[in-house]
Amino acid sequence: MAAPVFQPAMMPLGSGPDRMAAGAARMTDAILEFTRWPVEKPLVHLCVVGVADHAGQLDEISLSNGARVQVSRLPDPGAATQCDALYIGRMAALDNRRLLTAARGAAVVTIAEADADCRSGAMFCLLFTPQALNFQLNIDAVSRSSVRIDPRVLRLSKGGY
Amino acid sequence: MTRPAAPLMPTLRQILARVHTRLILFAVLMAGVTLIAAGVLIMRDYAERNLALVARTASYTIEPALLFDDMAAAQDGIAMVANGQGVRLVEVRDNQGRLMTRWIRPDAGAMARLEATAGKLLWPSPVTEPVRHGRDVIARLTVHGDAGAIGRYLLSGVVIALACLGLTVIATQILARRLQKDVTGPLAQIADVAHAVRVERRFDMRVPSADIAEVDQLARDFNALLDELQQWHAGLLSENRQLEHQATRDPLTGLGNRAMFERQLAASVEAAEQTGQGFAIIYADVNRFKQVNDGHGHDAGDVMLIVIAARLRAALRTGDLAFRLGGDEFALILASDTTREVVEALAARIDTSMEQPIMLPSGQSIQSSLSLGWALYPQDSADPRDLLRHADAAMYAAKGRRHATTD
Repeated sequence: MAAPVFQPAMMPLGSGPDRMAAGAARMTDAILEFTRWPVEKPLVHLCVVGVADHAGQLDEISLSNGARVQVSRLPDPGAATQCDALYIGRMAALDNRRLLTAARGAAVVTIAEADADCRSGAMFCLLFTPQALNFQLNIDAVSRSSVRIDPRVLRLSKGGY
Repeated sequence: MTRPAAPLMPTLRQILARVHTRLILFAVLMAGVTLIAAGVLIMRDYAERNLALVARTASYTIEPALLFDDMAAAQDGIAMVANGQGVRLVEVRDNQGRLMTRWIRPDAGAMARLEATAGKLLWPSPVTEPVRHGRDVIARLTVHGDAGAIGRYLLSGVVIALACLGLTVIATQILARRLQKDVTGPLAQIADVAHAVRVERRFDMRVPSADIAEVDQLARDFNALLDELQQWHAGLLSENRQLEHQATRDPLTGLGNRAMFERQLAASVEAAEQTGQGFAIIYADVNRFKQVNDGHGHDAGDVMLIVIAARLRAALRTGDLAFRLGGDEFALILASDTTREVVEALAARIDTSMEQPIMLPSGQSIQSSLSLGWALYPQDSADPRDLLRHADAAMYAAKGRRHATTD
């Protein structure tokens, strides 16, 4: 059997002015669904850092395993120590690097909203196109992190694994 | 004569072959049908489990794709799991029953359509598996199987069964031929012997022993029957000879009687006609026989006749024959190649042999003499009746001459 060629995940975006935000929320939801922390979290702290353009609907996320999601917006990246998940917007490169260095090895899943090349070291990078939302996976970051991502998700990322 | 032909009657070999073929046909069909049916049932069971496994695997595989709302990835996942697994169609529907994605096996051909139809017959309802995420059912996945594997199994089963049948038919023919050689071979020998006995009267023929108990018993009984038949036939022959002897011999003198004389005469005429050589007959009448009979009794007459017959026989050459025609009348047939001189010399020799007196039982001895008359074929006559009359007349002439001289 020939190895199947996976298209990158193409989450079609709906219509409406906030469709980007809705897509980002759904994508974040799906990523959190397949994320396993070393200790099961009844309450997942989702922290939004930096300037996030599409984070408006993250509060509506609810996980299917019953865990609640608490969204907090942190103006200061240094205060992200209590977070289980980071939704990273635009921010200074130095701050970004510092933030991700701190997150590396910790039980934190990192999602970058504005890193199309996925070079910052975030585990997931959202890719916005006019019709669809896509994501790319930084396999190095995923493998260093102590949170586990369901391997089935890896195959959905842009480029695939 | 030939044996009655019966072309419509089946031979033993045909009967044996038919019985064997039916038997083996039945056995092969029974075994084949049973095996195929059991195989289909087992394979159907395995295929059903395989479908369920495919359904579970596919539902697990496509779970993230459904959550990420990526139907292309879902379809790829299904293809990866279902391709080549005897799956014809996979459908994923959401909880409201709307079709989310569908995968159809790509190789669509006549065979695939046939397999799809057979699959519908084998699995009227598809396997349905919920796609779960955590505790929630996010979609339902239905898997429709095809009958490719079972169809191939059935096909190969039928082909193998047919091949077995072919082999079996050949084997039965060989078996029947061998059986025929063993069974009908000895029977045919018995039939041949019976035929030879009936047509050629070969009562000395016997059937060789056979290797089969029943046939051997039959052969031995048949041989015993032939023994009896041979003895019976031999007895009949000797009785016939005896009867023939009685019918053609004069019991008193042992010479041939009139009937034999006439038969021999006809044979001599025929032989003379064929070879062109003549023969002669001599009539002989005992002189004064009536006086001997009357004066010395019938025993004396009989002794006289016996002695005369013996003297006639002694006087004859090889090939010549003597007969007693009745009473005191005798006849001789001299073998072919005779001239008048030879016949006259022979007649003279007979006359001479009669000169010795004959001893009667009473102790008396009497003198006997014969009156001889002869005729030569074909010089005197070429007609047997005429020839006899000629000889008869000659004999009476001789008797008359004798009376004239003695009286």
